[in-house]
Amino acid sequence: MMKHWMLTVGLTALSALPAMAQQAGDPVRTLVILAQPQAAAPQEFQAAEMVAEAWKQLGLQVQVRALPSQQFNQIVWYERQRWDATTWQMVGRPERSDPDELTYNLFVGANAANGYNFVGYLNPEYDRLAQAQREELDITKRKAVLIEAQELINRDQPYGFMVHPKNLIAYNATVWDDSTMKVQAGIGVRNFWTWIGLKPKGAQKDVILNSTATPTNLSPFNIAGAQGSWAAELVWDRLMRIGPDGLPQPWAAETVTRPTTTTVELTLRAGMKWHDGTPVTIDDAIFSLEAPGYGDKSPMYKPFVGNIAKVETIGPMSLRITLKRPDAAFLVSSLSKLNLASRKIWAPIFEDLKNKPETAETIMEKLPVGSGPFKFVSVKLNEQIVLEANPDHWAKPLINRWIMRITPNIEASLGAMKSGELNVLADYTGDPELLMALPKSNPNIKIADALDMGIRFIAYNERRQPFGDVAFRRAISAAIDRDAIAADAYGGAAVASNSWVSPALAFWAAPGIAKRVPGGTVAAAKQMLKDAGYVLVNGRLHYPVGVKETTAAYQ
Amino acid sequence: MSSLTFILFRLAPGDPTINFLSPSFNEETRAALMKSFGLDKPLWEQYFIYMGNLLQGNLGQSFLQGKPVAVLLADALPNTVLLTLVSLTAAYAFGIVAGAFLAFHRGGLVEAVSIPAALATRAAPEFWLGMLLLAGLAFQTGWFPTGGALSPGREMNSFAERFMSGDFWWHLALPALTLMLYLQGLPLLLMRATMLEVLNDEFIVMAKMKGLSRWSVVMRHAARNALLPVVTAFALGLGASIGGNVVVETVFAWPGIGRVLVTAVQSADYPLAQGAFILIAASLVTMNTLADLAYAALDPRVSVGAKR
Repeated sequence: MMKHWMLTVGLTALSALPAMAQQAGDPVRTLVILAQPQAAAPQEFQAAEMVAEAWKQLGLQVQVRALPSQQFNQIVWYERQRWDATTWQMVGRPERSDPDELTYNLFVGANAANGYNFVGYLNPEYDRLAQAQREELDITKRKAVLIEAQELINRDQPYGFMVHPKNLIAYNATVWDDSTMKVQAGIGVRNFWTWIGLKPKGAQKDVILNSTATPTNLSPFNIAGAQGSWAAELVWDRLMRIGPDGLPQPWAAETVTRPTTTTVELTLRAGMKWHDGTPVTIDDAIFSLEAPGYGDKSPMYKPFVGNIAKVETIGPMSLRITLKRPDAAFLVSSLSKLNLASRKIWAPIFEDLKNKPETAETIMEKLPVGSGPFKFVSVKLNEQIVLEANPDHWAKPLINRWIMRITPNIEASLGAMKSGELNVLADYTGDPELLMALPKSNPNIKIADALDMGIRFIAYNERRQPFGDVAFRRAISAAIDRDAIAADAYGGAAVASNSWVSPALAFWAAPGIAKRVPGGTVAAAKQMLKDAGYVLVNGRLHYPVGVKETTAAYQ
Repeated sequence: MSSLTFILFRLAPGDPTINFLSPSFNEETRAALMKSFGLDKPLWEQYFIYMGNLLQGNLGQSFLQGKPVAVLLADALPNTVLLTLVSLTAAYAFGIVAGAFLAFHRGGLVEAVSIPAALATRAAPEFWLGMLLLAGLAFQTGWFPTGGALSPGREMNSFAERFMSGDFWWHLALPALTLMLYLQGLPLLLMRATMLEVLNDEFIVMAKMKGLSRWSVVMRHAARNALLPVVTAFALGLGASIGGNVVVETVFAWPGIGRVLVTAVQSADYPLAQGAFILIAASLVTMNTLADLAYAALDPRVSVGAKR
């Protein structure tokens, strides 16, 4: 009797399935999250796996597909119709202390076809806000616009923001005076201010730090990768620098004023010299501001001078920059980014390049000459970069040399910290717990941690359904447990994120936004999908009724 | 080989502009960079330019390092050659002696322990061996440095100065020991096997009957004849190791050709990768030729064109 009853119920349930399917659209295809291989980016990979597991709870079929770095970047960047979702990261850089660079480039519609808006997020309302914050010079009003932009992105969820990582830097406290390790907002202690102010405790006066990657050529017109830029910013001065507080401050320029919304006037510091002993002149400053705009010979830096209409001298050491339109971030995104380059050295190079296909990025002087607090000594591919303190600089460093060792083996770098071959572990991509344990085995080593302004996220390709549906994006974002990712994938060396503006940039960050992801739980995410018409059939998520799956699965 | 490397890299996914991605990167930036690298031209035109330059001995300019490929390779090659020569010589010297010894003392306890040990080191992944040695001899004891070819900040004006310095050899010790342990299995087993064959030959029986000493029979008669395949393997191993030290060079941050190749391939630096491949291929071909010549010199029976 019992068996008969169960059979009846089972058959009834089975017969109901086609009917349920008719009340739903096609099943959502298997979604693929692209990631770099676990060996290359273990934390991101694990985070992607955790996101995939969360999405599976919504009835989605999800795979994490690891691709070698080149192929990964190639597909995400140049094959924008092909992929569903991808892990991605923005690293912290001093010039990103002003949110403009990311605010504008990541989400503005004009960048969707070929620029950094590779997810294809299109929202005129956001475009208006991004432009408004750029043109608003009143900092309070600008902050309000930026908060509004963050709330808008929170509403639309073009990315599944995961975490803001913490920077973990180990250093030998018997070699370096703790109090001279300067924390820069959103960057941590591995920054320009630490290198120029670091005080040795004893005879060891060389900073020896590691890099896991091989830097590209050092040039004032090449935006080197993260590690290369650490060296470049020491060799070449800039008119302004981002201070430890995250705000731009005069550097090679003694004073900087903004008489009108479209003009900037500055006076160059007197007595500056290039590393070859010749004086830094106002002509050099003008050249440095104009050269990136010469034709297509400096494509990396060209966007940073695109808003400059005119540069003219207004005194023996003073100049005026006239902008085409107001630009609130100009002091950060341009004056704190452009390197001062010697006209005597680089003008003939640019002249020569006029008749050649090459650009300035690919040119490296035999002995790079800047005017910065460190002089270039040598670079050996896959071996080391050596800089020495510039005794003629007004901010003469207290250390003798800055030596970057190129060590791809991160375990060997940990060992080198223990043995004293390194005295700053500046680039650590391994397990945070191993690093945190280092002081226990060697009390001379201390760890400095600081919240980074960078972000790690899953980017949703809005060109491909169902990611084009805001309701779907909100639901899958809600299902992501950011705290668990920070704790487990990042070993606690990260905090939950829900914006491109890190809490490390406290002034600009929307307060508490990480806790205000719409929905915020898997249960809420399921309800959001249901409310949007998505249907679970036999545990698998289907589109709303009448919607066909028209997108080919990622191959 | 040159044509193959040219095509291979262009078929691989990714292009060098990927290295320049930044929030301000756009199509205009990409077009300018592609033009700068000469990648805006049709493939056939790139190929003829590349081959033309190659015929003139010009390997081109690295896309990312701002230096000629020849300079970058010339910096790395001596490091790799020395690492290879030292480790291979040590491996073969040990392998030959140990192989001959084991053949002569066949069936004993020593053989029962040695053969599995040789096979184990031969089968163990290089990175694992390297990390074990690093943990034991560098991290724990501090006897050897953890990586690199010279101490941090050490500047050498010439290769001669570098190779004459104790610092260089101190840094070479662990990577060379790792490679030596990894490589010694082949010559040991080869020598042992060949020796076992040779020891049964009639001329060895004759030598014994003549009342020659044990040393003389083994070393002067048997070992010399058993050496032929080992010499060939040495030359081939030398050629293969020039480009095959990628793992050891990475574990020990040794600035050799293997790491140049990895760096170049990872960043789609076509000229540098092509140059490294051509160098490796040329090493292999050269060493194969030398192996043939050495074989002919050591064994008149295999001389090309020998009178019969």
